[in-house]
Amino acid sequence: MDVEKLEQEAASALEQAGSLEQLEELRVRFLGRSSELKLALREVRDRESGMSLNALRQRLEAALEERRSALERAELQHKLMADSIDVTLPGESFSEGHLHLITQIRREVEDIFLGLGYMIVDGREVETTRYNFDGLNMPAWHPARLSGHSLFLSDDVLLRTETSPSQIRVMEAQAPPVYMISPGRVYRRDTPDATHSPVFHQVEGLAVDRGISLADLKGTLLHLMRALFGEKRELRFRTHYFPFTEPSIEPDVSCHMCDGAGCPVCKQSGWIEMGGAGIVDPNVLEFVGYDPEQVSGFAFGLGLERIALLRHRVPDIRLLWENDLRFSRQF
Amino acid sequence: MKVPFSWLCEYVPLEVSPEQLAERLAVTSAEVERVFWRGVEDSEGNFDNFRVGRVLEAGKHPNADRLQLCKVDLGEAEPRQIVCGAWNFGAGATVAVGLPGAVVPGGMKLERVKLRGSVSEGMIMSERELELSQDHSGIMLLPDDWEPGSRLADHFALGEAILELEVTGNRPDLLAVYGLAREVAALYKLELAPPPGTDPELVGDEPVQVSVEDFAGCPRYVGRLFHDVKIGASPPWLKARLSGAGMRPISNVVDVTNYVMLALGNPLHAFDLDRLAESRLIVRRAHSGEEMRTLDGVDRKLDPRDLVIADAAKPMAVAGIMGGEESEVADTSSSILLESANFEPVGILESSERLKLRSEGSNRWEKGVDPYLAGQAAELASELIVQLAGAHWVGQTDIQGELPARPVVHFRPERADELIGVSIPAEEQRGLLERFGFEVAGDWTVTVPTFRARDVTREIDLVEEIARVHLDEVPFTLPARRAMWGRLTREQRLRRRTEDVLSGLGFVEAYTYSLVDSDPDENAIHLPDPLTAEHSLLRTTILGGLIGSLERNLDAGNEDVALFEIAHVYLPGKEELPAEPVRIAGLTWGGFARAKGAVEALYRALAAPTPSFEPAGELPYLHPLRVARVGEGGWVGELHPELAEGEWGAFELDLSALAELAQDVVVYSDVISFPAVKQDLSFVVAENVPAGELIAAAREAAGADLRAMEVSDVYRGSQLAEGQKSITFAVAFQSPERTLSDTEAAALREKIVQMLAERFDATLRS
Repeated sequence: MDVEKLEQEAASALEQAGSLEQLEELRVRFLGRSSELKLALREVRDRESGMSLNALRQRLEAALEERRSALERAELQHKLMADSIDVTLPGESFSEGHLHLITQIRREVEDIFLGLGYMIVDGREVETTRYNFDGLNMPAWHPARLSGHSLFLSDDVLLRTETSPSQIRVMEAQAPPVYMISPGRVYRRDTPDATHSPVFHQVEGLAVDRGISLADLKGTLLHLMRALFGEKRELRFRTHYFPFTEPSIEPDVSCHMCDGAGCPVCKQSGWIEMGGAGIVDPNVLEFVGYDPEQVSGFAFGLGLERIALLRHRVPDIRLLWENDLRFSRQF
Repeated sequence: MKVPFSWLCEYVPLEVSPEQLAERLAVTSAEVERVFWRGVEDSEGNFDNFRVGRVLEAGKHPNADRLQLCKVDLGEAEPRQIVCGAWNFGAGATVAVGLPGAVVPGGMKLERVKLRGSVSEGMIMSERELELSQDHSGIMLLPDDWEPGSRLADHFALGEAILELEVTGNRPDLLAVYGLAREVAALYKLELAPPPGTDPELVGDEPVQVSVEDFAGCPRYVGRLFHDVKIGASPPWLKARLSGAGMRPISNVVDVTNYVMLALGNPLHAFDLDRLAESRLIVRRAHSGEEMRTLDGVDRKLDPRDLVIADAAKPMAVAGIMGGEESEVADTSSSILLESANFEPVGILESSERLKLRSEGSNRWEKGVDPYLAGQAAELASELIVQLAGAHWVGQTDIQGELPARPVVHFRPERADELIGVSIPAEEQRGLLERFGFEVAGDWTVTVPTFRARDVTREIDLVEEIARVHLDEVPFTLPARRAMWGRLTREQRLRRRTEDVLSGLGFVEAYTYSLVDSDPDENAIHLPDPLTAEHSLLRTTILGGLIGSLERNLDAGNEDVALFEIAHVYLPGKEELPAEPVRIAGLTWGGFARAKGAVEALYRALAAPTPSFEPAGELPYLHPLRVARVGEGGWVGELHPELAEGEWGAFELDLSALAELAQDVVVYSDVISFPAVKQDLSFVVAENVPAGELIAAAREAAGADLRAMEVSDVYRGSQLAEGQKSITFAVAFQSPERTLSDTEAAALREKIVQMLAERFDATLRS
């Protein structure tokens, strides 16, 4: 048997094999039971030619295997090329859920203050006048205490009109320092319209420690506003009046729509009102047994809906309560 | 409070523009809503086009019955011919004329026109056309001593900027032009004019019969008597100021009372003396059952808490809030009793709230008007009544209770620095306080002026005075902390996790009102005085709100509706305040099974052991049989088909109960090393046997090595007898310690088969 010739013959046949079927035929022809090589191997008697034929067999097997995988790859490739899909068709439908816009903002604010080392307090909504008014330096005759502004359950119990009562509860329960925020629902006697809702959300902030100043309030609120409305925001204070803070201020943030140049959102002023704040009135500190000569504090309150309306350009606060999926799924 | 700029400038020599002033005030003193213009525009010499004219001739237009043709002297060489539609004047009248080229309020430009064939070289103006009042019944008649051809703008404020301020409740002193001028003078370090008003000559000594029975409600009452009052229209300058301040000119005496209120901040009232029984006034509380008709024409039922000004017979005014129709100053009045009083704020506030009646006066009283102001207000009013109504001042009284002393406060400038966070030299602080009207002694004892006595009583209030002027200089710092930690509580963390899991499962978070119109719990807390019936109850369950949102979504044609909400509910109990547990509620397409699946997924995600689902009795809103109790206080069910078309699954869980079950730290159990033996087991049982009980029994029988047993199929049909069902379970046996042999698995299986046969008469299907 001419090893060299057989090998050449096999090599050229393998090269020409165009399918796995042809390859199988070649395997039978060159390596099958009655192939020339197998017959020769059966008859071999000397060690040298045996080794040579076995080597040939291994080479042929390897060549065959190589050709087989090449053909398989080609076949798969061929199949894939015939198996196109329309990649622009939609994917399989997953109905993703959404967190409410107010929840998203609440978490943002919470995370900002967690980062500043504040705790988060979930206050109660049905409150006594002691916590909603007395502790907040609102005497019995204060206009906010009249039923025309608030929703009372009895003479001494009402739906909290701001998140501030949780300040009093926290300070009563612990010694200073206190660093807390408290987001939640508050209630006013308001008829629903585009910007009013009888139920809405505030976040209350309170810091009481040695040496707290208006400057600390300004820095804290600037940090918050930049986190919420972008790093270019500026903050200013305007004087105001609240019973529970003295001095009282209203923080304005430079308009995120026009960068302060003036536009309809900021009513051409370049500034947007963001809530109320100030230095905690000494009467409030004394109410909870703190010594105003030893510690001072700042407090602020912001409306979460207001942030939603301003930042996301939601035109009507009622959309936040209707839960129409066409609205909710945008956020 | 609307403040005409030129009026303000009468008291303080301002050199800044109204807009600049507005910006400054907004930061230091009071919010400025807007700056707007009243009257004629003052640009490109427009004021020069409005002149005083004297009518030389006036007669019917030859070609028009309704028009007058006039010759008007405008101080020029020749009189001008002007066509006019009004008839309330004739030759000799002094009138306001807009010349061709004039731009009138509203923006129209006057031109020389031909009207019915006659040229008109200008327009004779009405008060409304000049925005002086609403009067358009005829043209405006001017005083006859005004020089023809002189500019209208030289006689009164023809047009000017108006600042609209929103003054906070602690600064009633700013609800007055003079008070604002005092503030502005302090801010800009300008000299303030002395307060307006100098007494005219007192020309009689008639008694003024006023008695105050309630000094708590009325600490001071200045009464002044005037005779020979001629009621008429106010002069243009007064009308311009009132209109600019947003008040309607009525007649000279009434206008004076309003003018003094606007100028000084002390509301006044004028009574027609001849209509007062016994010509006397008594300041007292109303008798129960008393009624009176106020100036707005409404009959008011008075309460014994309401302070009234009564004559000998009955109430003539609700003190400080509104006068009565009966003693109102009318065109025929000739004797006037002027009231310049002081009323205590809380009573006014409460009466005004009770009567649902507010006025410019009550708005000031309820914030606390300086009791020392009544005298000055009486002087200004007297001066103007004599001057404008030709009256004689013939008598006066000034009844005073105990007026409050001026607060004295010790002040530490370094304390202000500490609290503001900025260093302001002590002498600068002293100067500032002094400019604001405080007297500061050498030892920093500060005496508060009467007009700030209610607001400033403590050191901290003085700190605010310093702070508000330095707000722009306050730096941005963060608190210097000695201790610092911030983290979510466990329940807050689990709440967030719950929000994330449910939204991950495809639920959209909803917010619904906690105030509802109905609630399944008959003990739900109701508001005694709700705003609307729609928001009258505090909910005990969230589901009702979600059903409302579902309906809205179905009406909108939205598909795949799945909503959840996490919020407080309000459960009445024995305590003063209700319990306010946080509930997790969901409502989804796909009926009971999908709702239950969501609950199970939530429990898994929180690493809480699978809860028991016990069949529950009927629950509100739900299908009577498709409902199960879940763990502590929760349920899962299917919405009653009456409430929404289709099958809607719902659940409500208690967050704290769930939190109790959630594992914070999950400890690894070996489910990897030794493979599980998996089998399918089908049991035939009676229809009423719940699958859950079969599983519970199987666990009891096989113990911990029964790792999983889940229903994979329920079959009913022809191969089974009537009233029977076949349940197929996918069962996995697995030990954490070794690989179970086939024999061990078979033994476990046999235990289950026996137990189920015993308890439920179940037979294994081969």
